[in-house]
Amino acid sequence: MTAVYPPEHHLLRDLRFTFEHAADRTRSRAWMPVVGELCTDQGSARAGALATLVDVIGGGLAAGAAAPGWIATADLTLAVVGSARAGAVVEARAQVLRAGRTTVVIEVALVDERERDVGIATMSFAVLPRRETNPVADDLHASPPTMASPTSHLEGPLLEQLGLEVRDAAQGVVEVPVIDWSLNSMGAMQGGVVATVADAAAEAALRAATGRPLVVTDLYVTYLGFGRVGPVRSRVDVLGTSAGHGAARVELFDAGAENRQMTVVHAVATEAPA
Amino acid sequence: MNDADRPIMGREVSNYVGTTLREVEELVIVGHAPVAPHLCAPAGGVRSGALLTMLDNVGGLNGGLAALPDGWVVSTNLAARVVAVVHDGPLRLESRVLRRGRNSVVTEVGIRDEGAHDTLVASGVLTSAILVPENGPPRWERPVELTTFDVGAEAKPPIPEWLGVRAVDAHTLEIDLADELRNPWGILHGGVVASLVDLTAEHATGGGRTTDVVLHYLAPNRIGPVRATARVLGRRSDGAVVRVEVRDEGASRTTAIAVATAATRG
Repeated sequence: MTAVYPPEHHLLRDLRFTFEHAADRTRSRAWMPVVGELCTDQGSARAGALATLVDVIGGGLAAGAAAPGWIATADLTLAVVGSARAGAVVEARAQVLRAGRTTVVIEVALVDERERDVGIATMSFAVLPRRETNPVADDLHASPPTMASPTSHLEGPLLEQLGLEVRDAAQGVVEVPVIDWSLNSMGAMQGGVVATVADAAAEAALRAATGRPLVVTDLYVTYLGFGRVGPVRSRVDVLGTSAGHGAARVELFDAGAENRQMTVVHAVATEAPA
Repeated sequence: MNDADRPIMGREVSNYVGTTLREVEELVIVGHAPVAPHLCAPAGGVRSGALLTMLDNVGGLNGGLAALPDGWVVSTNLAARVVAVVHDGPLRLESRVLRRGRNSVVTEVGIRDEGAHDTLVASGVLTSAILVPENGPPRWERPVELTTFDVGAEAKPPIPEWLGVRAVDAHTLEIDLADELRNPWGILHGGVVASLVDLTAEHATGGGRTTDVVLHYLAPNRIGPVRATARVLGRRSDGAVVRVEVRDEGASRTTAIAVATAATRG
């Protein structure tokens, strides 16, 4: 018997996304209500939370574009340009930019209810031969408009619910367990969660380096391998800092899997966007 | 035949930016490039478009070597952060392979300023798709070493002049697809696309200096003219964030999408 994904108690249900897919499989839209649990201490939605929205809508759209093949996420980039505060709803408008034999590229525009730009994102996917265990793209498009159940909600701040702990802020060392609540359909840490971990690690290191309450506004996430065992641990190199911003390179390792390198992320943190 | 000895056709772009490349160990490439006046912005420092071209050069060669013997590579996306905009030179280019998959190669690329105590200049990731060229993948004598070639003593024109950039409106620049701007496969060189994106971001932001670029190559530019249009999405403490769309007007199609941050004064 195939297990239902996501399970009843899962991040993707608790984020309360809703979806709308175009019949021609070239465009999708998704909405995420911004709640305080998703925001940084500067009051706007965390880049990692926005990246999770992008990952879900982009992955679904790419799966349809690659059919009958399947996909593996290669990279995700996000630039945040506006603030989305608690009470706002962020809309993600995804479109297929390229659907080739070996790659699919998706662009996702993020806007708020007043059509103000919140951010822009891209994702690249490698097209792979389908396996029996992969979901069927038709099912994705026929799926209900939300994964949330009536009781789904975040029970605490996102980083707390992920179990993320900052071990050494100056070095950007954070640790996160791999838990059922945040797995992807392949049984590894979900791609948006990976981006969230990198966001938290970069934020800690760049705040320590600058002494300013910077928030991460750019993420370039290159996915190299799954985080299946955990804990996932970060290492950060601060690349440079200037007045009001800084850049960092973040590596994530699966400490429980012989410290296998999972991800390389380039992050930029700035003063919180207006 | 060693492909390093090939005719210069298709290598003019690498020669213009002055990159030399050397395989120092298996799948580790180190190169150098000068801080030449024709590559620099009026305010000084090598233009980000030229830095991106260098990253494309070093990462592309490394990705190609990683793809052998199955095929060669074309760049599919380049993401880089420029952290130092004033340079002494020479610049050292570095690349190592992060992942070699069935269809793609991911290389980490970086530039350091040897004349400024090895200060980091730029850091990024180049992803390339593996394909099999019509006449088979190029053959190389290993370890590979690529040098520049002499094209005469005259000074090279600055980048906007070399590309033949013309302004279409306040947010749009255009170039013709000149032969010397093509890569060995006959299409517009990825570094030229990166330079066009850089110049268009600068143009649309009133002189902003590009510090971050995410560039997705979607389709080849074969006909031209090639037009880049920028839209400013917002402003942050590190500059203006712009989306740049590149189109091959002769083929009526979008060929690249970029998101760039352009640092503006004040």
